[in-house]
Amino acid sequence: MRIPTAAIGLAALAGGAVVLARVLPDEATALLLGTGTGCLISAIALTIVLTFRGSGTVNFAAGAMAMEAAYVYDDLRRSGTLFPTDLSLGGPLGVLPAMVVALIASALLGALCHVLVFRPLRSAPPLSKVVASVGVLIVLQAIALLRYGSTPRSLQPILSKTPVRLSDDIIVPGDQLLLAGIVVVLTIALWAVFRFTRFGLATRAAAENERAATLLGFSPDFLAGANWILSAVLAGFLGILVATVNGSLDPVTITLLVVPALGAALLGGLTSFGVATAAGLGIAMTQSLIQVLSLEPWFPQAGSGPLPGVRETVPFVVIVIALVVRGQTLPTRGTVSPVKLPEIPRPRRLGAGAVVVAGGCAAGLLTLGPVWRLAITNTLIGALICLSLVVLTGYVGQISLAQMTLAGVSGFVLAKLASGAGVPFPLAPLAGALVATVFGLAMAVPALRVRGVNLAILTLAGGVAVEKLVFGNPAWSGGLEGAQVPSPALLGVSFGPRDPSSVLGDGKLPSPWFGIFCLAVVMAAAAGVANLHRSATGRRMLAVRSNERAAAAAGVSVAGTKLLAFGLAAFIAGLGGALSGYRFGSVSPEFFGGVASLTFLAYAYLGGITSLSGAGLGGFLVAGGVGFTALKQWVHVGDRWTLLVTGIGLVATAVMNPEGMAGALRETRRRLTRRKAVAP
Amino acid sequence: MTALLEARGLGVRFGGVQALTDVDLTVDEGALVGLIGPNGAGKTTLIDALTGLVPAGGRVTFAGRQIGGLPAHRRARAGLGRTWQSLELFGDLTVTENLQVAADRQGPWGMLHDLLRPRRTAPAPGVAEALALLELGDLAGRMPDELTQGQRKLVGVARALAARPRLVCLDEPAAGLDTDESAALGRHLRRVVDAGTSMLLVDHDMGLVFSICDLVYVLEFGRVITAGAPADVRADRAVIAAYLGGDGA
Repeated sequence: MRIPTAAIGLAALAGGAVVLARVLPDEATALLLGTGTGCLISAIALTIVLTFRGSGTVNFAAGAMAMEAAYVYDDLRRSGTLFPTDLSLGGPLGVLPAMVVALIASALLGALCHVLVFRPLRSAPPLSKVVASVGVLIVLQAIALLRYGSTPRSLQPILSKTPVRLSDDIIVPGDQLLLAGIVVVLTIALWAVFRFTRFGLATRAAAENERAATLLGFSPDFLAGANWILSAVLAGFLGILVATVNGSLDPVTITLLVVPALGAALLGGLTSFGVATAAGLGIAMTQSLIQVLSLEPWFPQAGSGPLPGVRETVPFVVIVIALVVRGQTLPTRGTVSPVKLPEIPRPRRLGAGAVVVAGGCAAGLLTLGPVWRLAITNTLIGALICLSLVVLTGYVGQISLAQMTLAGVSGFVLAKLASGAGVPFPLAPLAGALVATVFGLAMAVPALRVRGVNLAILTLAGGVAVEKLVFGNPAWSGGLEGAQVPSPALLGVSFGPRDPSSVLGDGKLPSPWFGIFCLAVVMAAAAGVANLHRSATGRRMLAVRSNERAAAAAGVSVAGTKLLAFGLAAFIAGLGGALSGYRFGSVSPEFFGGVASLTFLAYAYLGGITSLSGAGLGGFLVAGGVGFTALKQWVHVGDRWTLLVTGIGLVATAVMNPEGMAGALRETRRRLTRRKAVAP
Repeated sequence: MTALLEARGLGVRFGGVQALTDVDLTVDEGALVGLIGPNGAGKTTLIDALTGLVPAGGRVTFAGRQIGGLPAHRRARAGLGRTWQSLELFGDLTVTENLQVAADRQGPWGMLHDLLRPRRTAPAPGVAEALALLELGDLAGRMPDELTQGQRKLVGVARALAARPRLVCLDEPAAGLDTDESAALGRHLRRVVDAGTSMLLVDHDMGLVFSICDLVYVLEFGRVITAGAPADVRADRAVIAAYLGGDGA
């Protein structure tokens, strides 16, 4: 049943390209030029499908795995060292040995992912799996960044670039065609393996019922592991090929190709190899077509050039269509045991906690030096964004991978209003947070029909689209130096971080007043969330998290409750975005990008996604926050380790302790009180 | 008696399977109506269709109002409650809070109010009533995972009653209970009906259904095969053949 749809898709792509070639030769060439990236999108989509069918996990790190393999390969080719170590294999290797070693490394990576991370999470709720695979993504990216930074490097081609003349007008590089051929052959091979071999049959059976696979003589565990290894090797192979075809490699680009790849995989219902491949090629072709068309005079303009980011919205549109068309019948793998969500602690002694936290922060801001003042301020802003995730993901169970984008929306609106239109202090940041709320609600509308992992995919793609479309727009972003944000001032007194204070502190920057202001905002937001948790609205949120059907039957409007949570979380994230705009004096697209949203989910989850104290602890972990400042000051661990430590911590938390650091502290306290009670 | 709930020509399809076909069902004001049938006959699907949890064809009138197109939560607020066959309590909430979720009614600005000042007032009166009626007062502060299976079932019923529904659909409330517990449940349910709540009771415990219901519907392969007073249904040949396996128990 499946291969016909996929074959029709591929045929339609080819047919479309041929027709276009007759009518518009230039655009057709552009389409074909998209196939290089398209092949990689398809390959990543294939690996996502493979991992999902094999283990029921959606692998957000599939792109990162491809990227990693390309680095391993290229290091072997250049110097013979084994990335990411200095271990030498005795000088530069040839293409084939380098490829073989790199693919063995990929296979090991896949096996490690299975054994260390996803096997322990086999019957975990979707949130843990998403978080773990985001953690793997962050770790892989951090390793590449640590080793080589974000500067792209150039690669020697493997495949011949000899042009191939397809018609009189259309000449394309041969490597692109060859690459497309390889992907199509691999797709057919995968389809055949799943269709005709006992291994494939057992994997298909295990997806339905794990016991059935056992009857065929395979343990589900072996099948999941084998599929992980297979998908890592596949991602690695195509990652290497495409990196050499494109001739350039950096830690971010390939990693984020997972977004369009997820779109392609979703179109195939996360199960069809053929549809995933066809959709991957189609997405990339559409993107390069848009690239060419953007030079046309009728294309929407922004500033002095074509509107940026239209290309990047393609995956988002594809994902929305895939999810809407498939409605609520998206594949969910039958789970053996009922899933246990991370426990939500009942709020206790909040007043005392608030006094301690506020007092501690205020004392730190007023007595400690500039380094720690800055760290506390960063922690407070980070805690605010983590708090927004506590509301949305912790209380209502909705996974958002776009909270930092929403913060960014607010930051950019603030910059525009405050420096452009001269809107004064309390109005401009509030307006920013309200616009973020509108974006959050807009994101929630498709989210009402989408749950779990698919929601995470949807929000990730939406975040990336907003980042490229809005933040990348020169009218908003303010060019290279970023959009400026003037100091906040009330009644003529400025209290931004760069306004020296003669009343408080040591007179050095940042001024403690700004920290105090951040503290006030955080405490107010936390008080609001605490109130909500203990109220009727909070009970409805927890009811929706634990069982949507039962909540609806008890008279709870599930859609309304979710919208509320999305809106409130976006507002809180928006406040955080405005504060960070003031903190830096400017807003930049990178700071609020898709990767930033992923890392913030990491901070919030590490801290403890279900509690206020977890949000606070999450704030300790953010880059430049108290935690890493302490490491830097006392242990002399540089900032560049932040990302790696965060990623590893995230994976470990997801696997071992889903309630985060706050949960671990609660558990320790519980154990201590029990011991005290037992002791005479 | 006037009809409180009237379903006419109810039909539900799952893909290629017709789960319910042309079902007519009436629950009168103040009545306790039983619904029995073999496994897979469509009993739970019928409750799902009435309460808006699966899309269904046909007409559903409740308290003189068309509710066929309303989403589940609006039907619940209109006074149509239900319980679940499996355990569907909200795991993060205490017993009282579970009941409060069903009993709370809040205006559109409720959240703003909750953000600024959580309401510390006592739970809605329906909560205490339901706890008292099912003798669950001692468990009010417990979490669902601290309760026995039987207690959880009762809390599920209490949650449906806390909203003071006009009609409550009970999906196998006696499943998993022993004979004594089941008999006690029967007395509780009769009390609920005598207090003015109508009831549609689905259960496998024939003793329970035939002893307390005023009217019994029998469902087989998604169709109503007979309906009538318990004594008549018990004697009905078609029912005996289809369901009771000839022993008439």
